[in-house]
Amino acid sequence: MSTELIFSAVALIGIAALIPCFMIATTVLGPRSKGKMKNEAYESGVGPVIGTVDQKFSVKFYLLAILFLIFDIETVFMYPWAVSVRELGWFGFTEMVVFMLLLLTGLIYILKKGVLNWR
Amino acid sequence: MNTTALEKIQAAFPEATCKVVLDSVVVDVQPENLESTLSRLKHEPGLNCGMMLDVTAIDYLDFPKPQETRFYVVYTLRNWEENILVQVRTPVNDPEAGIPTATHLWSSAIFGEREVYDQYGIHFQNHPDLRRILNHWQFVGHPLRKDYPIEKGQICYETDSLEKEIRARLAKKGVDAATLKDINTEVMYLNIGPSHPATHGAIRILTALDGETILANVNEIGYLHRGFEKTAENRTYNQVIPLTDRLNYCSSMMNNIAYAKAVESWMGVEITERAKFMRVVLTEFYRVLDHLVCLAAALVDMGGLTNYWYLYNEKEAAYDLISRLTGARLTSTFTRIGGMYRDFYEGWEEDLEFHLRGIEKGFGDALKLVDTNRIVHDRTQGVCVLSAETALSYGLTGPTLRASGIPFDLRKDAPYYNYESFDFEVPVGTNGDVYDRFMIRFYEMEQSIRIIRQAMKYIPKGSVNVKDSQVSLPSKDRVYSNIEGLANHFKLIFEGVKVPLGEWYDSFEAANGELGFHFVSDGSGTPYKLKVRPPCFYIMGGFHKMVEGNMIADAVINLSCINIIGGELDR
Amino acid sequence: MALGLESSLGDTVITTKLDEVINWGRQYSLWPFVYGTACCAIEFMSAAASQHDISRFGAEVVRFSPRQADLLLVCGTISYKQAPVLKRIYEQMPDPKWVVAMGACASSGGIYDNYCTVQGIHTIIPVDIFISGCPPRPEAVLDALIKIQDQIKGESVLKDRHKDFKGIFD
Repeated sequence: MSTELIFSAVALIGIAALIPCFMIATTVLGPRSKGKMKNEAYESGVGPVIGTVDQKFSVKFYLLAILFLIFDIETVFMYPWAVSVRELGWFGFTEMVVFMLLLLTGLIYILKKGVLNWR
Repeated sequence: MNTTALEKIQAAFPEATCKVVLDSVVVDVQPENLESTLSRLKHEPGLNCGMMLDVTAIDYLDFPKPQETRFYVVYTLRNWEENILVQVRTPVNDPEAGIPTATHLWSSAIFGEREVYDQYGIHFQNHPDLRRILNHWQFVGHPLRKDYPIEKGQICYETDSLEKEIRARLAKKGVDAATLKDINTEVMYLNIGPSHPATHGAIRILTALDGETILANVNEIGYLHRGFEKTAENRTYNQVIPLTDRLNYCSSMMNNIAYAKAVESWMGVEITERAKFMRVVLTEFYRVLDHLVCLAAALVDMGGLTNYWYLYNEKEAAYDLISRLTGARLTSTFTRIGGMYRDFYEGWEEDLEFHLRGIEKGFGDALKLVDTNRIVHDRTQGVCVLSAETALSYGLTGPTLRASGIPFDLRKDAPYYNYESFDFEVPVGTNGDVYDRFMIRFYEMEQSIRIIRQAMKYIPKGSVNVKDSQVSLPSKDRVYSNIEGLANHFKLIFEGVKVPLGEWYDSFEAANGELGFHFVSDGSGTPYKLKVRPPCFYIMGGFHKMVEGNMIADAVINLSCINIIGGELDR
Repeated sequence: MALGLESSLGDTVITTKLDEVINWGRQYSLWPFVYGTACCAIEFMSAAASQHDISRFGAEVVRFSPRQADLLLVCGTISYKQAPVLKRIYEQMPDPKWVVAMGACASSGGIYDNYCTVQGIHTIIPVDIFISGCPPRPEAVLDALIKIQDQIKGESVLKDRHKDFKGIFD
């Protein structure tokens, strides 16, 4: 097997083993604090405030999160393409342009719909 | 100037007794005429008192001269266009039944009367929200009454949830179940609480949100209430000066100067010219420092952290001058009744000029970053607008009032300490949005530096303390060498400077607005009552008007640009 | 206290070495939570500025949430209205935590001995260091930080520091 493979396997197993060690060490060695208000939600020193955690949020937060996800994944797809753009040549280039145009039409649609207007 | 005001007011209210006290006309009315008197003072074209500066009460239980009733309530009103200051005094026969409120005339009465109820227990009939403001909700009793023992503290076991008040405010704004169904969500309550970096101190802002837009806002203050007024009743006039330092601790010497001016103007003590110029130089210098801190914090809240270093470093550098002059960095206690603690040191002009140049460079750099910055403009223009009438009604003064377009500055309209002979301008805003409140401080700093340079050029030589043995301490060699000097020193320190009997109100243009002191003196060396008219308190009263309808981020930058200082807000 | 550590390892060289490493980590990376109410908070801002740098002591990460901080710096007067807020913030901080009362007002009520001021926060929460001054110079804040670091050096993983503290809210 190549040295890179062995090295990366050792590193992966080492890190995977080390992190639980740290977590166990802090759980065993760390002090515990007491206090009746310790586990309440932090609300700037006052609490518990009106309303519960599982109440309905405004839908625009969700919309923004989904849009971010979509465009973020688009960027993620562009990274491996950018690394091997020379090998892929003109064919790969046109593929990526088509991909971007499809998402661009989506962006124009949401702009027209006014979703990006935060109010 | 005031004889015409006195004639005008006596002619308008022939049945009330009027007299002139310093700059103001004091009108004594009976409780049944109070509402009509206040209403006429506000609405009549000749009188037109658009601003209610302060409302307070006096408890005459221990007063040497017997009064007809125990409690009196005093409203201080100002007609800012013609510079008429009116104080309306009325006796309160029964504090439980109380007197009619003035909230329908001036919105500043909402906070002001709450404070009178909290501290003295006087009810105001038809007040929309009469509850405690400075003391906690589990407090029993009314601390500023003379029969409440000063050392009796009461523990608060839990903070008030304010749920009733925010629901009432939501209902008042017209948000009910139907609107909620329409916006397809529930109202979320967010508490930007007392322990929060954005509040610059301990203020609690409870908001009801739709997404990020604030639908309703209820504020709670009083987390730094330290009992300034009750403590001052047990100290001599000079011993109160360290307490005044800690009111607006960013510009501490301005409070000292305002307080000393208030006492001296009643006593009739005319301080020396050198002391007057010294006080002007120090007032304007501290105004610059206060604006530096306010702008630095406001820009940090907006995200421009670089400006914090440009502006705050200059304030830090100015501490060198202040500690050389006064001995302390932040809270200096530099004035005394009758003058100052001591004169300037040798070489102060070079030091001051060096610091002024540093400050000019600092805020020049910050202004360059901010002036044509698209992000600052988009974030601050048109945001949290407060119109001129609302600003006047809520009793705002100082830079926040001038940002809304009202050109009222006590240094120009009711000058003291030779301000009429200094050449400076007063910047005035147009829209009353965050941009105006914020940029106005840059320009005020420029004007203050102009005044300092002029004062430095014309400051006369001489002593800084008045040569009156009843007011200023004798020199130390006289104290140690002869018995009259020793006795004089002893009496002045132990019994305090004796101030003649009476009541008066004096105001001063501090960095945040009109800092007023309302005194009641029983002729001894300790004040019988000392009320501070804090500019921040009334600005905070108008905060919910500025913020409702805007987003949380706008509320945060609004709070930072109105420069709320906890020590002054809660006293 | 940690899970049965003293019964399994006891007072041996393992725990002392462990103490050294852990205390070294804790003392040089204190994360302050500035509970600033009044004038002392301005002096703390000066201590954190570039002239009296607090980051030379490893404490420049000022966190505004108690969940992420370990040093509670109470700067300013605490009134009775503020006291439950302080208690709640203290309890919401995870262990290990240290408390510094900065200034005369936090240490003993300062010049305000009246109906609304708590006469010293040690009546509410356990305090490690008191800094006197009104307001204390930034150098005094740095001195207190060094004292806390020395105190942490002498601590042990086995001992529980504040088992029997009773304040006015307990």
